[in-house]
Amino acid sequence: MLLLDIRNLTIELETNHGLVRAVDRVNLNLREGEIRGLVGESGSGKSLIAKAIVNVLNQRWRITADRFHWFGQDLLQLSFDQQRKIIGRDIAMIYQEPSKCLDPTALIAEQLQESIPNDVIKGSWWGRESRKKKKAIALLHKVGIKDHVAVLSSYPYQLSEGVCQKVMIAMAIAKNPKLLIADEPTTALESSTQAQLFRLITSLNQLKGMSVLLISNELDSIARYTHNLSVLYCGQLVESGKTSQVLAQPYHPYTDALIKSVPEFQPDLPAKSMLYALPGSIPTLQHLPVGCRLGPRCPNARKECVHTPSLQSKQQHFYSCHFPLQRKGS
Amino acid sequence: MSCLLEVTALCKTYRKQHGLFRQETIKALENISFQLHAGKTLAIVGETGSGKSTLAKVLVGIEQPDQGEIRLAGKVVTMTNYRKYNHVIRYLFQDAERALNPSQKIGDMLTDVLRFSTVLDNLQRQQKVLESLQQVGLMDEHIDFYPHMFSAGQQQRIALARALILDPKLLILDEALTVLDPTLRAQIVNLLLELQQQKGLAYLLISKNLRLVRHISDHCIVMQHGQVVESGPTEQLLTQPQHAHTRKLMGMS
Ligand SMILES: Nc1ncnc2c1ncn2[C@@H]1O[C@H](COP(=O)(O)OP(=O)(O)O)[C@@H](O)[C@H]1O
Ligand SMILES: Nc1ncnc2c1ncn2[C@@H]1O[C@H](COP(=O)(O)OP(=O)(O)O)[C@@H](O)[C@H]1O
Ligand code: SF4
Ligand SMILES: [Mg+2]
Ligand SMILES: [Mg+2]
Repeated sequence: MLLLDIRNLTIELETNHGLVRAVDRVNLNLREGEIRGLVGESGSGKSLIAKAIVNVLNQRWRITADRFHWFGQDLLQLSFDQQRKIIGRDIAMIYQEPSKCLDPTALIAEQLQESIPNDVIKGSWWGRESRKKKKAIALLHKVGIKDHVAVLSSYPYQLSEGVCQKVMIAMAIAKNPKLLIADEPTTALESSTQAQLFRLITSLNQLKGMSVLLISNELDSIARYTHNLSVLYCGQLVESGKTSQVLAQPYHPYTDALIKSVPEFQPDLPAKSMLYALPGSIPTLQHLPVGCRLGPRCPNARKECVHTPSLQSKQQHFYSCHFPLQRKGS
Repeated sequence: MSCLLEVTALCKTYRKQHGLFRQETIKALENISFQLHAGKTLAIVGETGSGKSTLAKVLVGIEQPDQGEIRLAGKVVTMTNYRKYNHVIRYLFQDAERALNPSQKIGDMLTDVLRFSTVLDNLQRQQKVLESLQQVGLMDEHIDFYPHMFSAGQQQRIALARALILDPKLLILDEALTVLDPTLRAQIVNLLLELQQQKGLAYLLISKNLRLVRHISDHCIVMQHGQVVESGPTEQLLTQPQHAHTRKLMGMS
């Protein structure tokens, strides 16, 4: 069953120069138990989409969509408070910098217990606090923290980034969310801790059937841990499909460039040789090119590209490009 | 090939005061020795707190070593003659934005670097500034821009221009590539590789991205608790890691 079904999500910002469209008609689906990767240059709108899903964007942003279904229920038809309630119950999010999201003045024990909703704790209110304490310890164990005594009685600054990130995950899964959104959760961490975290997220996915939207630019992790993949460029969805398929045979020149620019995906590339790199950089929202937003940087751009390409598909593999790349060897 | 940098038995201890009586000493560097040749790249990997940044800071003279010797092109570097060398080794941080003065135009910032460290006249300075902007793929008109008018990637280019403007022989990259977007990182990596080929620039690359280390570096040092636990040619070290800590860093255990 489709957990999340978003059609033509558009996110605009009111500025002095009028509305700028940061996210432009993006589709996003997530099935129950699915891990979907979301990749794209920074500034391409990944965090905005995540924040739109959990409804934390402020009044300056205008969010519209043709469809915004959660478990078959149209969230757009609900009042703001009802949306909040459903999202707060079912969706959890972890951010890139745990040290900024944890309260520096409160002990981990307090913060973690506070994140456990009352209805997760069974039984009457009597003795609830001690059961919460037990639950907090169990949560830490679940995310791979063995020394719960020391961690619970620490302030965030006394812990390493890796441990803080695990605490964030513990807080996020305290309410047994159906969907976990992880916004570049490992960028600040070293590779061994990164691997641990990804293993943790995968095991939660497998044991609890928790769906995950994994925002990351680390393509090797994306390849290893996600089932499906959406690629954004400059606020537009340029490609999506099965991760293995998209990475093996990208149709869109941006996806292709992304894959070629990472040495680990070019096993035959000799050390110290030039990497494939698109010229230029991602345009700012104030200076978006007309038509295909990759146009000015695209090696295959032609006249037709001044018209925005529409989303097309070949066997559940979606792409928006007038001149999709050809299959290797054909 | 000439040995550009030779470090012998470098030690550095930090003292942290806890309250009145308790003092903690942290051995950030213990007996570090290595050599780096012109035109080569040496990578330093290790978990957070293993002393990588301390080593970089000692090499550029921000921190003073307790013991040990640093030789640049055969000559011993001491604190008193450090100024003489500070254009030979340049340092690029992870966080370009914080390293740039927000209230100074790019052109002025670059000119200042030249004014402090070279004997060039006004016209020569101007020329050099434009040259170094070009080198990193920026344009002449950017001299009138303030740092906040650039994207993160462009800011990293500006930081690179500032590092390169004194024609250094060695550039220290302390996680400077880690936070960049993949396609942008590819651009900067290519630029660095080109400079190395053309000008024989040497790099000391501090990075937790082992794939990048593998692609760019010739030699690699693995650090743990301020000590070198393993070192060798990168390819060999990463295909046949000997030390348990190296394997752990590679996520193999
Ligand atoms: N608070 C904000 N004010 C103005 N522009 C913003 C704000 N937050 C994000 N943006 C812009 O929206 C675009 C998408 O940002 P974001 O979703 O954070 O990108 P990503 O997460 O992919 O790096 C960027 O161009 C960014 O500059
Ligand atoms: N200015 C300082 N004062 C006291 N301790 C420091 C200082 N700078 C670094 N340290 C300590 O020295 C050790 C090495 O730090 P650092 O060189 O920054 O490691 P890395 O760059 O590998 O993460 C750490 O234990 C760190 O806490
Ligand atoms: S539509 Fe044109 S410009 Fe856009 S990605 Fe395809 S070929 Fe390139
Ligand atoms: Mg983001
Ligand atoms: Mg460091």
